[in-house]
Amino acid sequence: MKNRNHHILKIVLAILCIVPPCILLLMSFFEVWPFPQLLPDRFNAKAWGYIFQPENRVSTSIFTSLIIALSVACISALLGFFTSMVVAYHKYKKGLLLLTYLPFVLSPVIFAVCLKYYFIKMGLIGTLYGVILAQLIIAYPYATIVFTGFWNNRMLDFQKLALTLGATPGYIFSKLLVPMALPMMLVVFFQCFLISWFEYGLTLIIGFGKVETLTLKVFQYLGEANIFYAALSSSLLILPPIILLWINKKFIYNKTI
Amino acid sequence: MIVSRKYSISAQGILFLFTVLPLIGGFGYALLYSVGLTGVLKTGFTFNHWKQVFANGNILSSFGYSALIAFAAIIISVAMSMYTALKLHRFLEKDLLSYLIYIPLAFPGIVAAFFVFQLFTKSGIVSRVFYKIGLINDIQSFPDLVNDRYGIGIITAFTLLIFPFFVLLFTNIIKNERLEEYKLAASTLSATPAQVLWRVSLPLLLRRALPNILLYFIFIFGAFEVPLLLGRSNPEMVSVLAVRKLQRFDLLDLPQGYAVAVLYSLASLLVIYFLFKAKNRADEK
Repeated sequence: MKNRNHHILKIVLAILCIVPPCILLLMSFFEVWPFPQLLPDRFNAKAWGYIFQPENRVSTSIFTSLIIALSVACISALLGFFTSMVVAYHKYKKGLLLLTYLPFVLSPVIFAVCLKYYFIKMGLIGTLYGVILAQLIIAYPYATIVFTGFWNNRMLDFQKLALTLGATPGYIFSKLLVPMALPMMLVVFFQCFLISWFEYGLTLIIGFGKVETLTLKVFQYLGEANIFYAALSSSLLILPPIILLWINKKFIYNKTI
Repeated sequence: MIVSRKYSISAQGILFLFTVLPLIGGFGYALLYSVGLTGVLKTGFTFNHWKQVFANGNILSSFGYSALIAFAAIIISVAMSMYTALKLHRFLEKDLLSYLIYIPLAFPGIVAAFFVFQLFTKSGIVSRVFYKIGLINDIQSFPDLVNDRYGIGIITAFTLLIFPFFVLLFTNIIKNERLEEYKLAASTLSATPAQVLWRVSLPLLLRRALPNILLYFIFIFGAFEVPLLLGRSNPEMVSVLAVRKLQRFDLLDLPQGYAVAVLYSLASLLVIYFLFKAKNRADEK
C-alpha cells in the first residue's frame, strides 16, 4: 500500500513537471481555439513561420537576450570569483556578506526605478551596455555569495601547503585555485545566465523599451492578447534554461559537492 | 591567503562599486525625491508626499496584501514540497525524477504567470475541462481564479515557481543531515510515527531551510511580473504599485512612488538584517 502511494505520488510529480512545457509548446501550434474545444480542429506551424520573419524582431530579441545573458554571466562569474576570496577571508566577513546580499534581494524593478536617474545622467538608459550594467548589479552579488562558500578552511590549507612547498602566488592561482574552482565557476556562470535570461522588470526600466529581450517579447504578445505567439516565445524562453539545468545536473553538480 | 594588499583593495573597491554605491545612490535619490529635495518637483523639505501616500490607504493595503500573498505561497509550497521530499527523497536523488524536477526551475516568472493564466482564466484549460464533464454550463459559470480578489492565480504561479526549489532543498537536507538515521533512532526509542514527524523531521527541516524560506518571502513580497499579469488594480502588490506611480505620466505621482520604494526597501533591509542576525546566532550554537 505504502509503495503504491509512493508510485502514485511519483507519477503526479512527473506529470506536474512535464505537462506545463508541453502545453506551452502545443499551444504554439494553435491558430484558432474557440471555447469549449479542448483542442483546436487543426494544428499548424504558422506562428513559428510568422514569428521568425525579420520585421517581428523575435530572432533579434533572442540574439539580444543571448548577448546580455552571456556578458552578465561571464563578468559576474569572473568578478565574483576574484572578490569572493577577499570577502571570505576578511575579518569583517559577515558585514561584507550582508552588504552583498542587499542589492540581490531587493526587487529588481524597484531598484531599477531608483537607479534610473543615474543611468539617464550617464547616457546609458535605453542601451545594451546600460542593461548589462544594471543586471550586473544583481548578478554579481549573487556570484560573490555563492563563491564565498568555496573559500573554506580546506582551500586555505591547500594554499598554505603550496606556499610552504615554494609555489609563487601566481602559480598557486593559475595551477591550483582556478582548476579547483572551475566546476563551481560553471555553476555560477549558468545561474547568472539564468538570472539575466529571466530578467524582465529591470530590463524594461533601464532598457526603456529600446533593448528588446525575449522576456519583453513575451510580455508584448500578452499585451496584444496574442496567446499563441506568447506561447511560442515562452517555449523559446524556457528551452535554453532546461538544457543548461540538465547539463548542470548531469555533468557539473556532482563534482561541486 | 595568497592575495596582496593591492588585490584586496581592488576587490573591496569592486564590491563597493556594485553593491554599496548603487544601494546608497538609489535609496538616497528615492528618499530625497520623496521629501521634495530633488527632482523636477523640488519644493524644499516637505512630508506632504508621505502624508498623501498614507492618506489614501493604498500603501498599507498594498503592503498587507503583498505579505499575505507571500505568506500563503510560502506556506503552501513548503508544506507540499516537504511532504514530497519526505516521501520521495530516495527517488529524487537518483531516479528519472531527479532530472524531471529541474524542468519547472526553467520557468521564469512571466512564463509561469502566462501558464497559470491559460490554465485558470474563464476560457482556459480547466474551464474547458469542467464544461466537457458538465461541471459548468457556460463560460460565465467558471469562478474568477485569475485577476481575482484573493490572489489565487498569483499564489498558484508562485507555488509553481518555488515548489521544485524547496523539493530539492529538503531532499538535500534529508540527505546531508542524515534525517533517516535520526528517524530510525527515534523509532527505536519507541517514538510513534507522529512524534517522529512533529518532533524530529519537521523541526530539523524547517530550521535548516529557514534562511531560504525568508529569502523567498522577500522575493515574492517584491515580485513584479506575476502580479502584473495575474493581479488586479486594487489591492495591488508593492512593486506594481511603486512602478505604476513612477511610470505614469502624472508627475505629481512621482514623489509618492519614491516614498513607496523607500518603504519597501526599508522593510526588505530590516528582514535581511534580522535574517543575518538569526543565522549568525544559529552558526554560533
